[in-house]
Amino acid sequence: MTPSVSSVGTEHNEYAHLVPLQRRYAELAENDPERQALREQLISGYLPVAEHIARRFAGRGEPIEDLVQVATVGLINAIDRFEPIRGSDFFSFAVPTITGEVRRYFRDHGWSTRVPRRLKDLHIAIRGTLAELSQQLGRAPRPSEIADRLGLPISEVIEGLQAGEAYRSSSLDEMLGSGDGKATLGEFIGGLDNELALIDDRATLRPLLAELAPREQKIIELRFFRQLTQTQIAEQVGISQMHVSRVLRQTLAVLQERMAGRD
Amino acid sequence: MTYVDKDYSSSNGGAPPQGTFHAGVALSLELRAAASTVVIPTIRTVAADLAARADFDLDSIDDLRMAVDDLCAMLVRIAAAGATLRCRFTVSPERIEVAADIEVEDPTEPLSTRTFGWRVLECLADDVRAMSLPGAVGERDRFCITVAKDAATAPQL
Repeated sequence: MTPSVSSVGTEHNEYAHLVPLQRRYAELAENDPERQALREQLISGYLPVAEHIARRFAGRGEPIEDLVQVATVGLINAIDRFEPIRGSDFFSFAVPTITGEVRRYFRDHGWSTRVPRRLKDLHIAIRGTLAELSQQLGRAPRPSEIADRLGLPISEVIEGLQAGEAYRSSSLDEMLGSGDGKATLGEFIGGLDNELALIDDRATLRPLLAELAPREQKIIELRFFRQLTQTQIAEQVGISQMHVSRVLRQTLAVLQERMAGRD
Repeated sequence: MTYVDKDYSSSNGGAPPQGTFHAGVALSLELRAAASTVVIPTIRTVAADLAARADFDLDSIDDLRMAVDDLCAMLVRIAAAGATLRCRFTVSPERIEVAADIEVEDPTEPLSTRTFGWRVLECLADDVRAMSLPGAVGERDRFCITVAKDAATAPQL
């Protein structure tokens, strides 16, 4: 079923029956056995919304099935996080959340600027060597080591790495809040305290760190308070070094921006 | 942005192949620009490119890029009106040094080194220093941050 545009806009009577379920879901305690069933009902009920949004991103080089899957993740996040206070509308919360998830997927898997095909392929080839080389070397590889592995001149590898900068260029509207971190908070908060005592702006910094998603917190902590390299963090957190780099940059930018705002 | 080519040409005497640096050849490069955040992406890209051509590992390249980004942002924030940001890179196979400075109104403690931003800088680079540079007669004082990044400092797991 393909919903019309209006079904996602102001007129969404076909979803009216879900509104009371939503309220009930938000009220239930975290461990209430009824929650799971309600959640599934809500997800399948709102699924056409996710499909609708996914379709709007079709034709950009990513398979529609993947986009629907990503949009569905966004929908689930929206359902879990929505707080139905009086007068607020689920759609005005869910649509940006789902759209944000799909955009983020494009940033992770797509190319945000036009990069020549050759460089794109090159960058993909380089990325393909990173995990294995890092494993063998116990550190991030050098351009010369990547060049050896691929049988290419170093200058080409450098070009390919630069193409990667376009690939992972980030945007200010990146949603940082919805981290899917597996790390638990308690694990490292204690470690932070000692180190932070040395820092003047801890009063500003601490609440800002607390606002970050657990995964972002974890990565900041490992890098700047435990001095691990990006490659080591990638191993611990279970994402790629490039992803670690991206998270670090965005999180630092967000922290610094917010810190400046609270001076 | 003015591009001041210091000794770049001398490294071409031996014609480094493939746009990379010869071992043992140090080179330096200086960038000057009006103090504005607009030029920071260009400066950090230069930093990363120099590190890649010096065959630093990818973590170190990325660390240097972020460090240069941060230190330029710190300097631009304390810049006097109409100031010029100078950024000088000295590259050898073992180490890249970046010395950046900017004109400031008040050179006494223009920047705290007990901040999170400074902490980040210290983690990203191997040697970080801040200093005031008294201006010559008729010139404003400058504030300088230098960072150095060593090749392959990644601690082994």
